[in-house]
Amino acid sequence: MIIKVALVGNPNSGKTTLFNGLTGSNQSVGNWPGVTVEKKTGKYYLDHYEAEIIDLPGIYSLSTISLEEEVAFQFVLQKKMDVIINIVDASNLERNLFLTHQLLETGFPMVIALNCMDIVKKKRQNINVQQLETMLGVPIIPITASKHQGLVDLMHQVEIAKNITRLDERRYDSAIEASVDRFTTILGNRFWAYRYFEDGIKGLYGINIKLETIKLLETVRDEESSKYPLDFDMLLPNERYERIIKIVDKAWIRPDLEKQSTTDKIDRILTHKWLGLPLFAIIMFLVFFLAFGPLGAWITEGFVNLIGLLFAWIIEGIEALGMSPWVSSLLTKGIFGGLSSVMGFLPQLTILFLFLSLLEDSGYMSRVAFIMDRILRHFGLSGKSFIPMLLGFGCSVPAMAATRTLDKIEDRRITTMIIPFMSCGAKAPIYAIFAGALFAGYSYLVVFSIYGLGIIVAILSAILFKKTIFKGVASNYLMELPEYRLPTPRNTLLHTWERIKGFVVKAGTVLLAAFIVIWFLSYFGFMNGTFQLLDEAEIGYSLLGSFGKIILPIFTPIGFTDWRSAVAILTGFVAKESVVGTLGILYGVSGDVLQNGSLLFTNIQAAFTQVQAYSFMAFALLGLPCIAALSAMSKELGSKKWFAFAVAYEMIVAYLVALAIFQIGSLSIGEMLSVLVAIAVVLIVFFSIKASRKRKKCVGGACYMCAIKDKCHNKPTDELPKSS
Amino acid sequence: MTLKDIKPGEKCIITNIHTNNLRKRIIDMGLTKGTIINVKKMAPLGDPMEILIRGYLLTLRQAEAKTIEVARVEG
Repeated sequence: MIIKVALVGNPNSGKTTLFNGLTGSNQSVGNWPGVTVEKKTGKYYLDHYEAEIIDLPGIYSLSTISLEEEVAFQFVLQKKMDVIINIVDASNLERNLFLTHQLLETGFPMVIALNCMDIVKKKRQNINVQQLETMLGVPIIPITASKHQGLVDLMHQVEIAKNITRLDERRYDSAIEASVDRFTTILGNRFWAYRYFEDGIKGLYGINIKLETIKLLETVRDEESSKYPLDFDMLLPNERYERIIKIVDKAWIRPDLEKQSTTDKIDRILTHKWLGLPLFAIIMFLVFFLAFGPLGAWITEGFVNLIGLLFAWIIEGIEALGMSPWVSSLLTKGIFGGLSSVMGFLPQLTILFLFLSLLEDSGYMSRVAFIMDRILRHFGLSGKSFIPMLLGFGCSVPAMAATRTLDKIEDRRITTMIIPFMSCGAKAPIYAIFAGALFAGYSYLVVFSIYGLGIIVAILSAILFKKTIFKGVASNYLMELPEYRLPTPRNTLLHTWERIKGFVVKAGTVLLAAFIVIWFLSYFGFMNGTFQLLDEAEIGYSLLGSFGKIILPIFTPIGFTDWRSAVAILTGFVAKESVVGTLGILYGVSGDVLQNGSLLFTNIQAAFTQVQAYSFMAFALLGLPCIAALSAMSKELGSKKWFAFAVAYEMIVAYLVALAIFQIGSLSIGEMLSVLVAIAVVLIVFFSIKASRKRKKCVGGACYMCAIKDKCHNKPTDELPKSS
Repeated sequence: MTLKDIKPGEKCIITNIHTNNLRKRIIDMGLTKGTIINVKKMAPLGDPMEILIRGYLLTLRQAEAKTIEVARVEG
């Protein structure tokens, strides 16, 4: 027997934690609303039955507004499961019970998992579970999902609940239920009657319904609505909350609420009026400083040496068996050259991913959205867009998926299109190599400036989109701030490990294959009329060398003078790590690997100037995203036209920025200064003209008495201008 | 008086909701007539605002706050 069980509950109530606990999966969890954006399935076994567990994105209500909520809503409506487990966050009982009531109205078999009982106890509160059970009329099992407590009880109860349907129960005020009765007679189903009552015709989306029926419904709705003093769409929510208050007052024993919570104390500093924004800047700087500063560089150096030793040992062992020249070339130049340069940056990435996980698990992410909303609004985005952007520092793919929590399609599209400019973890090794080789001593400042460049380009792009394509569209913002939770070491390490594992697995599979292909293409070629293995002095004659020389002129204006750099940047299409790997193959190995180890830094120093290196980094940052990011982008944008536009836009921007960097950077200091002054003068003139125009246009309020109100683009306001 | 006029540290009670944008979501998240709101703070740049409602923290923009009609409550 297989029972299908859907996990339904508010965002951030612990559904995925429960899902992981039941199925033994390692789906990503975090302390912010909207971590899960797709439904996921897993299996749970209890002695005599098997359950298919479906983890759904969190919803506050059955009236949905964003894409990921729609997934959960449709699943519940189409009754694709046998039993609902409604997860209720016990530390946030009142609001959680709202969805519970809507789910009860479906009449579907249901069990409540009362989660976070540990937090309730810690707050010296108590919940009378039996009382709650009687008043709600469904079985309730207290659990602590994070510690796997109560899960077996819960699944036993699911089996029992499977056969209990509760149809046509009347919970609310008799007048309201009478209105519902009238809709039920027309629709033939009480649940749809509740949906219609609440959302009007929009609530019936997805069911077949005749035009006459709709007309009849609307007439009845008009009749009914005249009976109530309150707006019709507020009636049911009001009624549910009134009922919830009665339940909560009886079943939830709380000490004085006025006491200041830990969350309050932390927020007094982190979202402080003056300290909030500087602290955020400092936290982000610290994360990057620790990862790419002296500490990270020092650990990386040790790690690279270790990998060198390991490879030397392996190569020595094979060499003892006798090796043909091409095997030796494959091992030292292809595999060692490629993998060592990629794997060497594992420690730095670990540090970066560890801090990103900490930010996600603690609850700080939502605060960042809160304090950044005012700024992002200028760019046509909502503070919520900042969460996907921050995730973009890890990897663009989950970051783009996270845009589904935004509730406007314009927000989602703009955010998805600017995420590739947020430098992902896989691009970090590129900066580490160039900054380490050519900007020694202040390398982390250079890396930081590259991240800054990405953010600036992202913001300018958002403004551009907002001013041109998405003119006049305003973003939405309404967000819950979760309580801070101390990230558990297990969870944080798991989270970090999942990200690192992706990196290592990719290195061992896709990248390894790519490196072998790149090695073959760059160390074989026609020389003196025969196709043969080349050594590193001759790779200009290789297949890849010939190709690289053909395409090099495209890259000459942005400072690439060596076909090897052009080829390396193109291989980034497979995965961004392979840029560094290719550099390793093409520059890294010379002479005897056993004696020299990797000479990547020295050879890069010889082949690039500082300006060339910076232009290369900028192009790698902004240019062609990797194939995984492209497919995520095409999925989230949901249209070929938008996708083509986004890719073309990104390539053009990357090229122009790199061009500007190289051309301006190549000038002498005197020339550079005059160019910068000229740009500054143009900007100042432009903005002052713009500002003076604006001032003429608007006197700040009191639009009804304004002489130019018809020509004014500002939102009309009735307020009087502040007296000066 | 609207929610926008309430200062941090003050309490108020909702008397009516005139919101159009995000209306249903605001109601479903517990901002219904008669609910007590505890205004916690403004974001560093003055907007959005943070409120305590039904035991949890919610943040919303002034644009929505000024469509929520309230009466100030002492204490």
